[in-house]
Amino acid sequence: MSLVAIKSAIDALSAPTISFTVLTVLFPFFFPPSDWFEKIHRKLGFWRLWTKAGGITGLVLITAFFVIGYYDKNFNITLTKPDNFPIVLMIYSMFFFIWLAMYKAYRNDIRIDQGLKPEEYNDPDDKVLVWPDLVYIEFIALILFQVFLIVWSILVAAPIEEPANPAATPNPSKAPWYFLGLQEMLVYYDPWIAGVLLPTMIIVGCMAIPYMDINKKGDGYYSFKERRVGIFIFMYGWVVLWLFLIVIGTFFRGPNWNFFGPFEYWDLHKVEALTNVNLSELLWVKLLNQGLPSNILIRESVGFLSVGFYLFILPVILAKTVLKDMYEAYGPTRYTSLMVFGLVMLALPIKMYLRWMINLKYIIAIPEWFFNI
Amino acid sequence: MFKNDERYWDINLLNKWFAISSLVFLLSMIWTFIDDNDDEFKDYQKKFRQLQIKATEKNLGQELDEVKDVREKYDKEFAKAQSDYDNQSDQVKSINDELGKFRADFYKINLNYSEKKAKLDVIKFHLESENAHHLEGEIAQDSHHGAETKEKYKIKTEELYKVKLDKENLEIEIAKRERILKDLKTTLKEVQDTRDKILKKVNIAENKLNVLDRSKMSFMNKIGDIVRDLPILDFMDPYYKVKQTVVKDIHYDVNFTAMPAVDRCTSCHLGITDPDFADAEQPFTTHPNLDLYLTSKSPHPEESFGCTSCHAGRSRGTSFVSSSHTPNTPEQKHEWEEKYSWKKIHHWLQPMLPTRYTQASCFKCHTNTSDLAGAEKINLGLTLVDRSGCNGCHVSSNWPSTAKSGPDLRKLNEKSHPDWVAKWIQNPRDFRYNTRMPHIFEQANQENPKIAKRNITEIASITHYLFKDKITRKNNNPSKYLGNPANGEKLFSAVGCMGCHVSEQDPSMAPQPITFKELTKLQGPNLIGMGSKVTPEWLFNWVKNPHEYMSTTRMPNLRLSDSEAKDLTAYLYDNKNYDFDQKRVPEVDKTVLNELTLDWLMKMNPEKYAIEKASKMTEREKMSFVGEKSIRHYGCFGCHNIDGFMDAKPIGVEITYEGSKPVDKFDFGLMHDIEHTNYAWIENKLRTPRIYDRGKESNPLDLLKMPNFHFTEEEIEAVTTAVLAFNTDKVGETLLAHKNAPDYNKEGHRLVKKYNCQGCHLIENRGGQLVEHIGAPEYGPPNLNTQGRKTNPNWLIKFFNNPMTIRPNLQVRMPSFHQISDKEWDTIIKYFQSIDNENTGYRAPHQFVTGSRKFKAGEKVHELGACNNCHFYGKTFPIQTASTWAANLALTKERLNPEWVVDWMREPQNIMPGTKMPAPYLPTPDVLETDDAVAIWGKDLVKLKGDQEAMLEGLRDYMWNIKGKVDISEEIKAYFDENGYDFSEGEDDDEDDWDEEDW
Repeated sequence: MSLVAIKSAIDALSAPTISFTVLTVLFPFFFPPSDWFEKIHRKLGFWRLWTKAGGITGLVLITAFFVIGYYDKNFNITLTKPDNFPIVLMIYSMFFFIWLAMYKAYRNDIRIDQGLKPEEYNDPDDKVLVWPDLVYIEFIALILFQVFLIVWSILVAAPIEEPANPAATPNPSKAPWYFLGLQEMLVYYDPWIAGVLLPTMIIVGCMAIPYMDINKKGDGYYSFKERRVGIFIFMYGWVVLWLFLIVIGTFFRGPNWNFFGPFEYWDLHKVEALTNVNLSELLWVKLLNQGLPSNILIRESVGFLSVGFYLFILPVILAKTVLKDMYEAYGPTRYTSLMVFGLVMLALPIKMYLRWMINLKYIIAIPEWFFNI
Repeated sequence: MFKNDERYWDINLLNKWFAISSLVFLLSMIWTFIDDNDDEFKDYQKKFRQLQIKATEKNLGQELDEVKDVREKYDKEFAKAQSDYDNQSDQVKSINDELGKFRADFYKINLNYSEKKAKLDVIKFHLESENAHHLEGEIAQDSHHGAETKEKYKIKTEELYKVKLDKENLEIEIAKRERILKDLKTTLKEVQDTRDKILKKVNIAENKLNVLDRSKMSFMNKIGDIVRDLPILDFMDPYYKVKQTVVKDIHYDVNFTAMPAVDRCTSCHLGITDPDFADAEQPFTTHPNLDLYLTSKSPHPEESFGCTSCHAGRSRGTSFVSSSHTPNTPEQKHEWEEKYSWKKIHHWLQPMLPTRYTQASCFKCHTNTSDLAGAEKINLGLTLVDRSGCNGCHVSSNWPSTAKSGPDLRKLNEKSHPDWVAKWIQNPRDFRYNTRMPHIFEQANQENPKIAKRNITEIASITHYLFKDKITRKNNNPSKYLGNPANGEKLFSAVGCMGCHVSEQDPSMAPQPITFKELTKLQGPNLIGMGSKVTPEWLFNWVKNPHEYMSTTRMPNLRLSDSEAKDLTAYLYDNKNYDFDQKRVPEVDKTVLNELTLDWLMKMNPEKYAIEKASKMTEREKMSFVGEKSIRHYGCFGCHNIDGFMDAKPIGVEITYEGSKPVDKFDFGLMHDIEHTNYAWIENKLRTPRIYDRGKESNPLDLLKMPNFHFTEEEIEAVTTAVLAFNTDKVGETLLAHKNAPDYNKEGHRLVKKYNCQGCHLIENRGGQLVEHIGAPEYGPPNLNTQGRKTNPNWLIKFFNNPMTIRPNLQVRMPSFHQISDKEWDTIIKYFQSIDNENTGYRAPHQFVTGSRKFKAGEKVHELGACNNCHFYGKTFPIQTASTWAANLALTKERLNPEWVVDWMREPQNIMPGTKMPAPYLPTPDVLETDDAVAIWGKDLVKLKGDQEAMLEGLRDYMWNIKGKVDISEEIKAYFDENGYDFSEGEDDDEDDWDEEDW
C-alpha cells in the first residue's frame, strides 16, 4: 500500500464516528473490568502492552506517527504550530505515565496471584528525610525542567498573532488545550450543559470519589485486578472522554470546527450538511406527521420521559436486578451518588452516538427557557 | 554526615545527576545570553562599520591630498609659534611667581579690608543712632557722646580709604601681569586656530576614523570599545544598538488604539542618508533621490516621516524576516528564500509594499492631485481611474469622479442605429481597437454555449431598451451635410481637433496612454469608423454644436462655419469599418428570451406566477423587460446616462479602503496558484476580471460582471498602485501636503485636466502636444506661462465666454467651452493667477501722460522698433506677410497687465521661449552721448540717458495709447477665407535665389 493510501485510510479512520467507537469498544479490552473481558484481554495478548517491551513499542509507534506526519504537508502545519507542542508532550507523557502505572500494577498483580505481597510492601516503614531524599530529587528535577523550558524558549518563538480585531474572528477559534475537551463536547451539547453542568459534575465527582469508594484493596500499592472496575471507569472518563477529545480538538478540528483527518488539507470552504433534529421534532413531525404542539411540556414530553427514565428509574431498576450486589455493598447514598455521576458521564457518549446515528440535536429542546439537553 | 544506607536514594548517583544538571543549566544560561545578544542587525552594523572605515579612509586620503600643499606652511608657522612660546618659558615662570605673591597679598589685604569695613559700619550705625536721638531731642546737642563717635568715625574712614588704595594698587599689578601672560598665549592660539581651520576637514575625518577603527584606538579606548557592547553592560552606551525614529505624527492602528510609528529600519539600513554609499550592497545602499527624501533639507525628512509611512512593513522589526520585507519579483523571492530563509510573516497586517508599488503611499498626504511631480505611476493610475470610469461601479470617496465617463445615451436614437449599437455592445474593440469602453460580454466566464446564447439575447434586449419609444433617424439627405473630405482632413489637422482626438487606423501608430502627453491626445475617442456608426446629419450637428446633443460633454464648440462643418463631416464620414458592418447583428432568440424573462420574474415571484406573467407579455414587452433588467444587472448606467436609470446606484464594491482590506477578505475563488497578497489579487482582477469565477458552478445571474478594460501591463501596475493608495492610513495634519495651497488651486488644476487644456497648451511646462503636431510654436496654441499675471481677469473671462482672434495667423482656434460655468471659469482664472503669485482681482485702466518725456521717448523707441511690420493696429494690417503677423496692439490696453508688458518687452524669450517677437532696441548710454544723438534719437530719448526701465515704460505707455478696433476677428477671417492658410515661412527665401553662376 502506498503512503498516500495509508494516509487516506488514517484520515478516514480518524473521523470521530469511527475513532471514538473503536476506542470505546477496545477500551475495556485494555482495562478489563470483568472476567469476561479479562479472558479476551489475555487471549488477544493485549496484556503485553503493559510490559517493558509494550511500552517501548508504544513510544516508538507514537514517535513514528509524528515523524511520518512531520513530512506530510498538511499535518506538518498543525504539528509544528508552537501552540500545539504541549499537546505532543501530553500524548507522550500521558502514555508513559499510564503505561508506568499499569506496568507496576501488573507486576503487583502477578505477585498477588502468587500469594506474595506487592512490591511496595518492601518499602521502608519509617519516614525518609525531607533533605536530601525529597528535596534533592525535586531540586534536580527542577533544574532539568528549567533547562528544558529555557531551551524551548530559545528555539521556539512565542506564537504571537496580529492585534485583536473585533471585526476579524480567527477561524478556527480554538480554546486553550485544557478546554478543548469541553469545546468538543459543545458540538453535542448545549453550552449550559457542556460548559457548566458537565464540568461541575466532573469536578464534584472527582472530589466525591474517595467518599464513594468502599474498596479497601489496592491502597498504597499499584494494583489493577483489585480495583479494576474503578480504574476502568476512571480511565475511560480520563483517556477517552477527556484526553482523546483534546487530541481531536487539537489535530482533527479545522476551520468552522469541521472535522479534518490529520493528513487532510484544512479547506476553509468545506461544507458539511448539518441536518440535526430535536427529539420532539422526530416524534411529532416525522413520526406522527403533525405540527409541533404549542404547549411546551406536551411538546417535550418524550424528552422529559426519556431523561426522567434514564436518571431516576434506570438506577432503581438496575439496583433491583443487575447491580443488586453493588447496591447492597455500597448502600443507598453511595449507590445513588455513583449512579448520578456515572449516568451523567455515560450520557456524553450516548448523546454522541445519538447524534451520529439519528442526527439527534436535543433530547429536550426548550429554547424559550434556555433549557436544552 | 549522612551515611548512604540511611538514605532512600543513592546519594552518589544523585550528586552525579546534580552536577550534570547544574552544568547543563549553566550551559543553557550561557546559550540564553548568546541568543539574546546575537542580533541580526548587529552583524549588519559590524559589516557597515568596516565599510565606513573604508569610506572614511578614502575621505581622509582625499582631504589630506587637498591640504597637502598648504599644510606644510601652516605646520611650520605653528612649530615656530610653539617654540617662541616655549622660549619665553622663563619669563612666564617669573611672571607666574610674581602673580602668586601678589595674589597672596591681595587675599590678605582683602580680608583686612573686609574686617575694617565691617567695624566701620558698626561705628556708622552708632553715629547715626545718636544723630537720630539728637534730632528727637533726647540728648543735648553738645553732648560728650556724640563728639567721640564722630571722631572715631572720621579716623576709621580714613584708615579704610588707605587700605582701599593699597588694595587697588595690588589689583592693578595683578591685572598687568595677567595681561602679559594672555598676550603671550594669544599669539600661539591664533596661529593654532589658523592651522586648525585649514586642517578642519582632515581633523574631522581623522577623528571619525579614530572612533570607528579599533586598530587606531589607544589601548584603553580599545578595551572600552569592547566592554561597551558586552551583554548587560550594554545598557550604558553601546556601539551596536537598535537605531530608531519615533514618528509622532504617523500612527499605526492596532484596533483599540493608535501607536506612533517607531521605525527601526535604520538599524540595518545604515547608509540610507549617506551619499557615500550609493554603490554599496544592500542593506547599506543610499536611498535614491536624497534631494526629495530623507535628508533634513528635503520635503520628506526622516524625522518627520520615518520609513514605513511610504514603504509599510513592520516598523519595529530588527531582523530581515521580522520586518516583513516583500520581494518585488519571483526571482527576488527565490533569492531571499535562499539567502535569508525569507518567509512571509502572516500576522502582520500591513506587509511592506513591493518596491514597484511604493508610490501608492504618496496618496495619503498628497490627496488631491493626479499630477504629483516624481510620482508618475500613481499619476497614471489615478488618471486611468478617472478615465475608465471606475467610480461608476466602484465608489471611491477619496478620489471621486466629477462626471460619468461615457457618453449620454438618452438621445442615442438621433446618433446611431440599433444594429451598430448591438454589435458595439457585444464587442467594442471590433469597432475601435483602443476604445475606453470595456468588454462586458464574450469574457472567460461566458464561454459556455448556453451562457453565450443568453448573452446574445441580453444584448439585443438592451439595445431594444435603449431605442425604446424613440424614433430612429433615417439617413435622409446625406449630401446636405457632406462637403469635401480632403478639406475636412486638412481642417481636422489644423483647426484644433487634434488637441483631444486622433483618427488613427493603425494600432501600432496610436498613442500609448502611459505618459501624460500621450494621454492628452486621448481625451476624446479615436475617430475611425464614423461612417459605420453615425449619420452625417448627426455628425454635422455635433461638430457645429456638441452641447445640443449632450449638455455635459467635455467637447467644446469650435465655432465652425457650415462649410467647415460639412467638410469635417465628410472627412470623418468617409472612414467606414467594413468588417464591423459585415458582422452579424445580435438578435433575440424567442426561447432564450422567454427563459431570461422567467429567470428575472422568478427572482421576485414563485415560478407559477412568473409563468403566468410571462405568458401575458408580448415579445416586445419581454425585450424591454429583459433589457431593463440587464442594464440594471450589468450596471451600464455607471458610465452612461440612460433614461430610467438616472438615480440608479453603482453596482460594484466600494473601494475607498481597498488598500487596507485584509487579504483573507479577498475572494480568490478557486484560484490557488495566485500569490496570496492583496496586490496579486488586484493585478489578476484587472488583467482578467472574471478569473475568480474559474471552476465555479454559478448560476448565470451569479456570474462575475466586471468588464474587461484590456489594460496593458503598465496600466495594470498603475491602477493597482492607485487602488492600493485608497486605504485607511492616516497621517497627522502637519504632514498633509498642499495644505497651504488654496482650494481653488487644486480645483482649478482638476478643471484644467478635465477639459484637457494641456492637450493644446503648455501649462506649468506640461502638455502642448498639439504644438508639436503643428510643428512651429508660433503657429500653435500659445504657451500659457505667466498667463495669470499677464491678462486682466475681467478681459479673460470675457474671452473664455466668447473667444476672439488674438494671434491672427493661427489656423488653430481656441474653442468655446460653453459648458463651463462662470464659477468654474473663476476658479480656473484664480488658479492661473495663483501659479504666478498674482492676487489682483480687478485692475484699473493704466494711467499715463501723453506729453511726458517718458511717453515721447517711448514713441521714438516704437518708431525705431517698426512694430507695424508684424503687429496689427486696429484694422490696419501689418506691413509684412501673414507668416509673421502678430497680435492687434489696439487690444493691449484692454487685455494685458501693464507691468507684465514691461517684463515681456524686456526679454520675450524668457516668457515664451521660441517666440518670434524680438526685444525692442533700447539705445545704451554711450550711443546717446554722441554729438548727433539728439538728431538721431530725439531729445526726450537722450534725456533718459539710457534708463532701460524708463524706456520700456515709455514704450508701454505709447502702446496703451494706440487706438483702433479691438476685435478684428472678422477682418482676419475675411482675409484667410480669401487667401487660405498656405503662407510660406518667410520672404527671405526670395533672396536665396540660385545665382546662375553657382550652377
